[in-house]
This record gives sequence, C-alpha cells and structure tokens, in this order.
Amino acid sequence: MSAAATRTQRALNWFTPAIALARIAWLRTILYLFVILDMHAFVRDTRLKGEHPGLYQPLFLARLFDLPKPSVANTTTLYVVLIVACLVASTNRLPRLAGWIVAPAFTWWVLIGMSDGKVDHDHLALVVALWVLPTVAPRTKGRNWKWRREVSPYADQTRSEAAGWAIKCVQISVIATYFLSAVAKLRGSGWTLAWPGSAILTWAIVRRPHPVGEWLLHHPWMLHVMQWVGIIGEFLSPVILWLKGRWQLLGALFFIGFHLANTAILLIHFLPTVVCWLAFAPMERIVPWFKQRWGPNSSDSPNSSSSSAGDAGEAEDQAEEGRQAKEQAGA
Amino acid sequence: MCNGGVTSGQQRTEDGSRPDGSRPDGSGPDGPDSRLRLGRVGKAVRILVALAGIGLLINGSVRATDDVWPFGPMSQYAGAVADDASITYTRISAQTDAGTTVDVPLNIEGAGVARAEIEARTGEIVADPSLLQSVADGWARKHPDQPKYVKLELIRDTTTLVKGRVEGPPKAEVLATWQVRR
Repeated sequence: MSAAATRTQRALNWFTPAIALARIAWLRTILYLFVILDMHAFVRDTRLKGEHPGLYQPLFLARLFDLPKPSVANTTTLYVVLIVACLVASTNRLPRLAGWIVAPAFTWWVLIGMSDGKVDHDHLALVVALWVLPTVAPRTKGRNWKWRREVSPYADQTRSEAAGWAIKCVQISVIATYFLSAVAKLRGSGWTLAWPGSAILTWAIVRRPHPVGEWLLHHPWMLHVMQWVGIIGEFLSPVILWLKGRWQLLGALFFIGFHLANTAILLIHFLPTVVCWLAFAPMERIVPWFKQRWGPNSSDSPNSSSSSAGDAGEAEDQAEEGRQAKEQAGA
Repeated sequence: MCNGGVTSGQQRTEDGSRPDGSRPDGSGPDGPDSRLRLGRVGKAVRILVALAGIGLLINGSVRATDDVWPFGPMSQYAGAVADDASITYTRISAQTDAGTTVDVPLNIEGAGVARAEIEARTGEIVADPSLLQSVADGWARKHPDQPKYVKLELIRDTTTLVKGRVEGPPKAEVLATWQVRR
C-alpha cells in the first residue's frame, strides 16, 4: 500500500474507532429517558399544535415527506408511541427495534414543535444520536432469545467499530453545533468579524430581561469580553475531537461553563446538546469501577447479574479492561 | 431484531470473531482480537453517511435557512447589532372582561404560544389580526377561572441604543388590534 493510501485509510478509520458496547448501552438509557424529559420540558408544545394548527408552517422535511398537518389524533399517537418506545429502548431491551421507532418519531415531534416560524438550534446532536444508536447491534451469542443476558449491556467491554462510528457521529454533531454557530456569526454579519464587537448581547438581554443580564447592561465591556471568548471557543471547538483524556475533559468543561453563563445571562440552557457531551465520557468504565470498588466477591453482590458467565479470571481481567478503557477515553 | 437488515454492514457477533480476519487494519496487532469489526460495505456506508451529513451541515450553515432543520444554520444570536441599533420587543397587551389591562404571558403555560412565534409571524398578524383569536382562546382554555380577554393589541416596544448602551425606557407602538370573538 502506498503512503497516500495508508493515510487515507487512517483518516477513514478515524470515523470508526473501536469503542466498548457498554458506552452505547449507557447512552441509550440516558438519551431515551432524556427524550421523555425533552417532550415535557423543552419541545413541549407539539400536542398543543395538534389542537391549534393555525400557526403551522411546515418545514422543508415535513414538505419533502408530505407529513400530515398536526392534529389531535396524530400528535397524541406520536406522544404515546414515543413514550412507550423510549421506555423500552432505555432498558436496552429490543434497543434496535425501539430505537428505529424513536428516531423518526422524535424527529417528527421536533419538526412539528419548530414549525411555527421559530427554529431552535439545540437539537442537532440529540436527533443525530437517536438515528445512529439503533445501527449498533447489542452483543448476543449467536441467536439468543433468552430474556436474561449473559453479559449486562452496561458492563460489555467488547469493543465495536459500529459503536465507535455511532459515538463519533454524536461527538461530531456536538462539536458542529458550536463550530457552525461561529460560522453563522460570520455569515450573520456579512462574512465579517463584526459580531464579537457588536451589541448583540445587549440586544439579547433587552429582549430577555432578567436580573443578572440587566446588571450586565451597565457594563458593556464585560459583554464584549464574553462575546470574544464565545466566538473564539466556538471556532476552536473542533480541536476537542482530537484531544485525549484530561485535555478533552477540560474542553468539555469549558463548553459546559459556556452554557452555564448563557443560562445565567439569557436563560438559554441548550440541555439537549449538553446531554450529548456524554458521548465523550468513558462510561464503559462505570461498571468495572464499581466492581473494583466492591471487591473481588462481586459475584455475590447484586451486581452479579451484570458479570459475565466466566467470572473466575475477572480480577486479572480488570487491569486489562482499565487499560483498554483508558485508550478509549480519548476516542 | 438483533440482526435486522437495516444496515448492510452487519456486525459479526459470534464469539467476537473477525468477519474479514484476513484484512489487517494497522491499528491492532494480529492474533486474538476481541474487537467487532465492520465489514467493508458496512464501514464504507457509515463513512459515506457521516461525510454526507457533514456536507449537509456545511451547506446549511453557508447558504441555507432555518427551513432545512436540522441541517440549517446555527443562527441563534448570530447577527451583529450596531451601537446605535433599535431593539424591538414584541408583546401582546390584553383588556380583560374584568376591566384590567395586562401583558399576555407569551409561553406555553400562559396563552399557549411563545413570544418568538408571535415575533416570527408579526407580519402575518398585522395583515390578518384574526390570528390573535387563538391567543385569546388559548388563554381562556388554560385559565378558565381567570378574566377573559376582550381586546388584544400587538405592541412593539423599541429601545434605541446610544453608543452601545441602553438609555431611557422603550417606545411603544400598536401594530394590530383584535376584538376577541366569543
């Protein structure tokens, strides 16, 4: 293979790192439960739009697929289907079947929620996550229809490229949310760098008045500093995809701080994006960590259902698991 | 469902064996390897999907609008605001059957409609004030024990910046008026 071909191969492999299936299992539980929260706390007016479709203005995807106008019947059905499918998928039972139901159903749910002239930009990573999670098959030994699993999905350290691809897609979407915001800011000021020096935050606070923001209105220089920090952070965000371990954690903490500041100043929380930062977290280490914590007799503990059939050599395996997990942490 | 045929690149899961063991990928030593690798097709499809997604996102950010959600531009607060800009804030003022005048709470719990929705469709409401009827209906349905709205006014408050600072209270302007139907 030529050097160029090897480089291409390596660049392509970047999209499919081998990551433990356990991280997918944790993401499934957290994100599918988050969808239920989202339907009640964030994109919560979909059923209301079914009752009053007066302001309905279908977005491109709704027109492309000729989706019906929201009605009480279809939004209620959507609601029930989503709740049931999310509950099932969050247990990691039938995760692919339930996942393939949730993905289009929630996309439609959000599509209706945003079909009234205003579109939010905090759902990209979550929607992408819901579409990629069902592509990952949980591990089974051959065709195994037994209800009780040999390995708990949350403990499964089997590294899978399919899992890695799904996680990489979520990570890219999280980062894209920031990087593309910076691009939009250039575009929004006619492809100039006028944004960070402008009165945008003053404008935002006047329109979303609340005490912290109103105090800041008296100190426009602080708002300008925040604007510069924000746009530089957004431009540099793709670096996080290549950082490892602690440095990556620092990057994540920077953006979580960014959201805390936005929440304090403007009451804009972006939680649907924030929760997807967990795709970066080596959650596959949770179960090994607990097992190590509670000693070698873990097979007697309530955790036993989550240990594999051949548990004898487990203590020795843990160092290896830990090492693998460390490698994956940067993935 | 574990072997559902949605993706052509099925994982081979039996005993963690490699589906294409003959192909070294350079990232791991040969020999026992418990990784579940993707087949050639599965991997190619996934990489193409990822690249297509990135392409759609870039297209959205560079030239599309919010209409193509989720591939539209991340344009929240992306405009530059000049130091002498006029900042507008749209609200709906209501006269109630109790004789009071109140600002309509523009959120889901209030009148069932968000301020941003009203702002996004101000032009349409000005052209056809009867669209405000749904605001009164929403309020009446959600708060049956509270005074009903009898007349709604769509009002735009304008704050003008002076050298980037807010000076003085906003100026109010009535854009549309609607006598609520029972």
